[in-house]
Amino acid sequence: MTDSTRVHYQEELQNLEARALEGLDMVAAQLDRAAEAGEHQDTELAELVVASDDVIDGRYLEIHQSILTLLATQAPVATDLRLISALLHLIKAIERMGDQCVNIGKLIPIAGHEPPADERIIKDIRTMGQQVRAQISQAKRAFETRDVEMARDLVHQDDLVDDLNKEIFRIALEIGDDHDRREWAMTMILVARAIERIGDNTVDIGEQVAFIVTGLFREFQDASHPGEPVPQP
Amino acid sequence: MTDEPRTERAATRLGSNHPSIALEADFEGRLSAGTKETVFALRDLSVHYAEKPAVKHVTMDIRRNEITALIGPSGCGKSTLIRCLNRMNDLIPSARVEGELLYHGEDLYGPKVDPVQVRKLIGMVFQKPNPFPKSIYDNIAFGPRTLGMKGDMDEIVERALRSAALWDEVKDRLGDNAYGMSGGQQQRLCIARCIAVEPDVILMDEPCSALDPISTGKIEDLMMDLKEDYSIVIVTHNMQQAARVSDRTAFLIVELTADETNRWGEIVEYDDTEKIFTNPSDQRTEDYVTGKVG
Repeated sequence: MTDSTRVHYQEELQNLEARALEGLDMVAAQLDRAAEAGEHQDTELAELVVASDDVIDGRYLEIHQSILTLLATQAPVATDLRLISALLHLIKAIERMGDQCVNIGKLIPIAGHEPPADERIIKDIRTMGQQVRAQISQAKRAFETRDVEMARDLVHQDDLVDDLNKEIFRIALEIGDDHDRREWAMTMILVARAIERIGDNTVDIGEQVAFIVTGLFREFQDASHPGEPVPQP
Repeated sequence: MTDEPRTERAATRLGSNHPSIALEADFEGRLSAGTKETVFALRDLSVHYAEKPAVKHVTMDIRRNEITALIGPSGCGKSTLIRCLNRMNDLIPSARVEGELLYHGEDLYGPKVDPVQVRKLIGMVFQKPNPFPKSIYDNIAFGPRTLGMKGDMDEIVERALRSAALWDEVKDRLGDNAYGMSGGQQQRLCIARCIAVEPDVILMDEPCSALDPISTGKIEDLMMDLKEDYSIVIVTHNMQQAARVSDRTAFLIVELTADETNRWGEIVEYDDTEKIFTNPSDQRTEDYVTGKVG
């Protein structure tokens, strides 16, 4: 049992994984553009973010179809089967992350050209964006290297994002009586929420890394029972 | 079939007064819901042809009313192993079996055990359908007649053909020669012939490798039905078939001496089929079932 077989199939599977993981690079680029558009109130760049989502959607459809073909023609089992299941989750997470970037892109023009901004919120959103950007890279590395510890660390990384999201909400509640300022703050809550969801998606991807490696699926954190320990594989 | 518990029937028909079989029968009604009774217990079983080893150190329990699949590359000893289970290797003069093979707790290779009786209780279906050059009816009736089984022969034949999901296709031509049937029908006839003598276990050595996908599907459906009443052991090269039909799967590998003059099979992993095909414990199993090595 030394000769390698099914070489084309293995190449196809590796290529499929690489193409799916490239989707994370696309999301990172979209998040960068959305952050820059928000920073400079650049509505044209925001529109580009919205339009560019078609590329991510296209990648989702391409990977989805390739997975169906592999399932139908190659009958993958064992680690290959777990990888393919994980890739389905991964590409769906990427598609959702892309949609959150679109949401941010659509919110930027609503905030207005020279909004009555609160510096604390601007700063927190910037930090959230940078943190989630790093989480996207970490999720990709963990997936590529099948590093469960790196994947599990995404939970701790994401705690910072969750805290900032709550902080923005708190500041918005106390922002005062000015109508325009409150409206801007509400819009920023939605932007923060979109970034926070992208962070959650990176944790979901981390869970898929653990599934590929261990064969057992466990949520790193149980949202319906926060604070309770989750059994680990 | 009688209502007599199968284990007790097996013990009686094997012509043995071995206490372990009686014990097995005593406990039959008291097995807890989650416990699967062991039909075959193989303990460090090895088979040699002359001085050449074929399989070595096989230890496994084969459970009742389950389908157990043996998979592995060519030359790993799957067929040798399955042939041990009803002493078919006795027919090869140079074959030598070492270790322990317990059938319902009794040594299958014990001095008082009659191999002919063994093969009645533990039937075998082969790769190529091998009906007798007789009518469909006579193919089924041959075994029961030879054994002197009592009862209405028409009923025995009908029951066996129904059990093998063949009755509706052949009931109007029972007198026709079996050679006129399709390959898939012939294989189901062989299964019916096996069932007609009321065995305890059915061994299948690549039963679908000569059949088209439709016939294969019918045999696989039939196996799923038959495991309600029988224990089945199947050797297959088709891993998807093992994944589809079996409850437990044993993966065997070919081992070689350093100078490559001798090769034999050994069990690498034996576990629930779902585990073998979704998350095997041994990297060699992983590599084989995913097709990375052949």
